[in-house]
Amino acid sequence: MDTYRVIPGIGFLCVGAVLARSLELVAGFNHLLVAIGIGFVLANSIGIPDRLGPGIATHKLWLGAGIVLMGASLTLDTILEVGATIILVVALVTTSTILVVEVLSRNVFGLATRLGSLLAAGASICGVSAVVAVAGSIDAREDQIAYAAATVLLFDAFTIVVYPIIGELLELSGTIFGIWAGVSMFSTGPVVAVGFAHSEAAGQWATMTKLSRNALIGFVVLGYATYYAGSGTNRNISVRTLWDEFPKFVLGFLVLVLVASAGIFSQGQQRSIENAYNWLFVLAFVGLGTEIQLNHLRSTGMTPALVVFLALIVSSSLSLAVLLILL
Amino acid sequence: MTIDHRGLVVAARAYWSRLERDWQSVTVGALIVALTVTLEIRIPW
Repeated sequence: MDTYRVIPGIGFLCVGAVLARSLELVAGFNHLLVAIGIGFVLANSIGIPDRLGPGIATHKLWLGAGIVLMGASLTLDTILEVGATIILVVALVTTSTILVVEVLSRNVFGLATRLGSLLAAGASICGVSAVVAVAGSIDAREDQIAYAAATVLLFDAFTIVVYPIIGELLELSGTIFGIWAGVSMFSTGPVVAVGFAHSEAAGQWATMTKLSRNALIGFVVLGYATYYAGSGTNRNISVRTLWDEFPKFVLGFLVLVLVASAGIFSQGQQRSIENAYNWLFVLAFVGLGTEIQLNHLRSTGMTPALVVFLALIVSSSLSLAVLLILL
Repeated sequence: MTIDHRGLVVAARAYWSRLERDWQSVTVGALIVALTVTLEIRIPW
């Protein structure tokens, strides 16, 4: 990372973050959603100058750091309380989403098999990161990657707006709303944003659920690489793939959960760490907003969008039904 | 004991540039925890 190249963009993220938090104080809007809104409006109106690009691109780094720090406000007891339910729902929804997207794209809509697999990975695991990871393992074409990534981003934008409205209409509790968003929305950033926009508890459950889903990426990459191995891909398939694709910041998160569970942090220290991760999230969400660009979303094809929309309806209603029964 | 600040900065930059993004996130988190716990720095608001 070239320090001087990233400073202007990081400065932009900081200004956006302060503005978002100030608007919450003055007008009562949720600062996380306002942060996304600021990035989105600027990127789609006056545009983002090129020299801000490298700094804004660091937003995923701040999101990861925020998630690591969130571990300090959780304890093992809290996680174990509904941990089994999360694992069950994540396994159920991830598997069913992959199956639904694969069947719809191959047998119903006749999409190219690799494009269908990229859409399945993006919808079932962790959005664009999963699309890129799986694309590498199945030798997908550049245009297929761009198509699948645009489709995932389209639904990220859609769910950021729709999930909070449904959560409000159904008066879902923080735990149910958080797990529901974590298990059925696509990318990590939007999941964390709508979770914390609902409530602190929803944000924590949303993030934990999404982390357990993200941890499956290695298995999905391995599965697809094995499946496509007979059709010309040269990628070495090994257990090392599991480690390479594993989101390492989850380990930092888990270490802080253990440290917090041991009661090492004082209340003041815990409060300070909570403020820190809140700031990191706001920085990240200003950057996330700039990534939602309408001209890119327009390049999404109707058929891939329809496939992913149907899969979202299935995963979303299935997970909500299971959660309402179990919790 | 004297500390070679310039050497420290060079070493830190070399370490940072070799890290994957996920490990950079862990490093930022660890630094913030270290500042909060050892130096008692409080992050407000």
